[in-house]
Amino acid sequence: MSKWLSLAMAGALAFSLTACGGKADEGSASSGAGTGGDKAGTVKEKNVTITFQNIYPDPTDPKNKLMNKLVKQYESEHPNIKIELDSLNTDQQKLKLKTQAASKEVPDITVVNPAAQMQPFVEAKLLAPLDDMLDQNGLRGTFQDGLLDWYSFDGHTYAVPDGNNIGVVYYNKELFEKGGVQVPTTFEEMVDVVKTLKSKGIQPMAIGEKDTWTGSFLFMNMLLRTNNGPGFLKDVLDKKKTFEDPAFKEAVDAFQNLIQAGAFQEGVTSFDYNAGENLFKTGKAAMYFMGTWATGGIETSSVNGKVGVFKFPTINGKGNPDEFMLAPGSAFAISADSKHLDETKAFLNWFMLNFPKEAFEAKGAVGIGQKVDGDFKAAGYSDMAMEVLNLFKDVKGGDLAFDNTMNPGTAQAHLASIQNLFVQKKDSAEVAKEHQSAFEANNK
Amino acid sequence: MNVLKVSRWTIAAFVLPCLILYAGIVFVPILVSMYSGLLEWNGIGESRFIGFENFKNLFFHDPVFWPSVRRTLLFAVFSMAEIPIALLVAILLKRYIRRPNFLVSSYFLPVILSVVVVGQLWKTIYNPASMGGMLNQVLEVVGLGSWTHEWLTDPSVAMYSLYFVALWQYLGYHTLIQYTGILNVPEEIYEAARIDGADGFAADRYITFPNIIPIFKISIVLAFIGSLQAFDMVMVMTGGGPAHATDVISTHMYNMSFLSMKYGYGSSIAACLVVLCLAATFLINLIFNKLEKRFS
Amino acid sequence: MNTSSAVTLNKPAAAARRGRFSVAKTIVILFLSILVVTQVYPLLWLVLYSLKTNEEILSGSFFALPHAPQWSNYSAALEGNYFRYLLNSLFVTSVTMAAVILLSSLCAYAISRFRWRYGQGVMLLFLIGMMIPMQATLLPLMIIFKNMHVLNTHLSLILPYVAFSMPIAVFILSGFMKTIPHEIEESAVIDGASIWRIFRSIILPVSVPPVMTVCILTFINIWNEYILAATFISSEKLKTLPFGVNSFVSQYSVNYGAIGAFLVLGALPVILIYFLLSDKITEGMVAGAVKG
Repeated sequence: MSKWLSLAMAGALAFSLTACGGKADEGSASSGAGTGGDKAGTVKEKNVTITFQNIYPDPTDPKNKLMNKLVKQYESEHPNIKIELDSLNTDQQKLKLKTQAASKEVPDITVVNPAAQMQPFVEAKLLAPLDDMLDQNGLRGTFQDGLLDWYSFDGHTYAVPDGNNIGVVYYNKELFEKGGVQVPTTFEEMVDVVKTLKSKGIQPMAIGEKDTWTGSFLFMNMLLRTNNGPGFLKDVLDKKKTFEDPAFKEAVDAFQNLIQAGAFQEGVTSFDYNAGENLFKTGKAAMYFMGTWATGGIETSSVNGKVGVFKFPTINGKGNPDEFMLAPGSAFAISADSKHLDETKAFLNWFMLNFPKEAFEAKGAVGIGQKVDGDFKAAGYSDMAMEVLNLFKDVKGGDLAFDNTMNPGTAQAHLASIQNLFVQKKDSAEVAKEHQSAFEANNK
Repeated sequence: MNVLKVSRWTIAAFVLPCLILYAGIVFVPILVSMYSGLLEWNGIGESRFIGFENFKNLFFHDPVFWPSVRRTLLFAVFSMAEIPIALLVAILLKRYIRRPNFLVSSYFLPVILSVVVVGQLWKTIYNPASMGGMLNQVLEVVGLGSWTHEWLTDPSVAMYSLYFVALWQYLGYHTLIQYTGILNVPEEIYEAARIDGADGFAADRYITFPNIIPIFKISIVLAFIGSLQAFDMVMVMTGGGPAHATDVISTHMYNMSFLSMKYGYGSSIAACLVVLCLAATFLINLIFNKLEKRFS
Repeated sequence: MNTSSAVTLNKPAAAARRGRFSVAKTIVILFLSILVVTQVYPLLWLVLYSLKTNEEILSGSFFALPHAPQWSNYSAALEGNYFRYLLNSLFVTSVTMAAVILLSSLCAYAISRFRWRYGQGVMLLFLIGMMIPMQATLLPLMIIFKNMHVLNTHLSLILPYVAFSMPIAVFILSGFMKTIPHEIEESAVIDGASIWRIFRSIILPVSVPPVMTVCILTFINIWNEYILAATFISSEKLKTLPFGVNSFVSQYSVNYGAIGAFLVLGALPVILIYFLLSDKITEGMVAGAVKG
């Protein structure tokens, strides 16, 4: 084998020689492998290319439009700076970032998810601390109170989010009327609503459980209630509680209760997120539990004007409806090894300063992570959007999703376990045990 | 067997460019990847050498692994079982259709379509009747309502639903290959046989089959490879779910490496896949060498 | 074989088969036609899909026609750099195919005809490598390419595409070359032709049929490849078609109709090229068969 290895190495070497000569391609395309040391801070402005990896690939998405607008504006104001957009969908981007991280090829600007999901990158020192950048031009103050905590480790902040959402229940007023049901105030009422709707041939709820995080999100809201407050997972991490705690089992029971009552559509685990949401958006389902980022999509669908929202109710009298599932948005981070650290920081600073205003005008400001001054009603935001915005004012705390709190190994086991509940009934003690063993196996 | 005698430099010139590129791009990464199976590594941070612990966990403590192996092998078996059918179609085409090119080309169409299209299409076929799923709707209409299933979400049938899609997609692929093989059997032999009175399927038994063994082998190998690598389609249609009911070796590896961020563990799965391929290669080679000897 | 009785025995059967209304023939034709429908339907479905609105797609029944063809889906798809992606895909694919054919025919010839110790060994090496899924090599390749400075260039795609396509090509070509009669080469050697001459003027032309097969297989395999493309390419200018299609699925909403349109536009070149090539295949195959 060693003969082949040396041959292979020789071959690789040969190719590296040809490759360096080779591509008559845009030389600056290899922006990572920077030619010419552009040390910033000099008055002389060298030509700089910043790679901006993002998750807005759809040209019809308002976020994509505003991103392009801001990028073009910045480029025209700074002719020596070129910004290269690498737009991917969420899954592609996650995979790509991990691959790039392994070879230390993280792009200048990339996207990460809060807390536990970005922790490995922070620990591997791949992300640059953004504290100085946040202090420039008062950027820090534009973010909602406490939001940046989810992106901070050891007193340094490493990413700036594009959104801050909460989990709510959207419902179709028309279908509720048709089914003769009211908005439930307790979980038990909610199950009754489900049964009534089902008996009348109306699909009670929709979910896209092929994307396992959706079921998990709903489940965690129930745990938030049965635990009488947030912090269950934190207690497990601190070894104060285990998954075999009665609160957890109660949540599992409630969850299965809902499923067995027939809340969800047939074949639920083959519906991905969009297919599930579209069931609601085409008026085929009466309720839909999701983060408030879904507001925009619902407004542009055929059920616009018929939709209201309500807070997830108490379970067995436990829990506070003003505590929500918190979903701090995906955030922009800067590579610690960026060759144009200062220029990138300057750009990101400017970008985030202008983000709220542009989002507001593009009607995409529901669920944004920064404070927005503006008369939403006057700007033409819908009644439902106003309802959602009002809910934000009631937020008194909450929990993050499971995969933002636990490490990936544990999270994957949890996601599979929850997905399984949609397909078969299981004893809650068993589920608790599953979780606990997965936790222990992944947190040695 | 007569072979040409050439200088070593000529051999090198013919073989090396190909081999170096191949070894460098395919083999070196595989070896690196297999070595990673000995590490505890999340793919981006520090790694720790742990010897064969990943493998130990994989073989003895992983409830997903062995079922995924079973499904992968079953997949391979079904894929290979499809070849004789493809051969039959090819024979029928040659015998009964005067200008079969159009047919051959149209059979090939599903292969060209990207897996996204195929996945989407079959998802809508397999959907429950209430969601507009064609299969269940048709079954109900013809009175076979009891045969309806949740094709993609019922753990007992989901994998078979996926097998069927793969077989459907690649029928044209193998038909084309077999057809090429049949066309290369010279007409004169058939004519001579016809004069001797052997026609139709008798002719096939003594002429077509023996001559087509090399091509048949190609199809078998391709089918086997395709099934071992099947990743895209499973991901698009079920993501390996529900709850790992449709996980095959490659999807399990992907989940471990990239979603659970246990890259070391995922690499150990990759190593197993490589070993499986090795074993399969030897086996297939052995069988076909014997067959060729018998028929030549 | 006893010819006379065999002939008389077979006459009526043969005659029946040659008759225009044979039952067997009708059944076969029926079967083959049904097969066509099942194989071609997806394309038809896709085209209909691309002309519907999002709502129609998700709510409509299986056989429904769109209410009004949404040509806007196509304009949305074309808006997004379609032609750039198409050109990139064409470029990458054609360079890959050329490299694959060149390198693997050389190697296949060596394996099947030269007398040397490692022939079988090399073939085995290729066979093993054929079965490796690309995902297993993603991380290591990234590191290799980074060090070679080819990231975000088309070379980072061409190299792995060629490398992963070679085993099958070598496999098919060597299998075919083994069946070339030795007399051809022997007479050329006697005439004093160099091995290169033999290869160029005799072996290659004769090998057109399997070369065509290899072309098609390679083309199909890499045209739709998107995982490597998404990982190694970051600039808009260089992205290939499947990458573009997959990216279209945006974070929180999906424009299904436009995706459908994009897919149709993506499949069109392949289908066209395939139908064009398929004619050449027949020519090549007929030529091959006649040469016997």
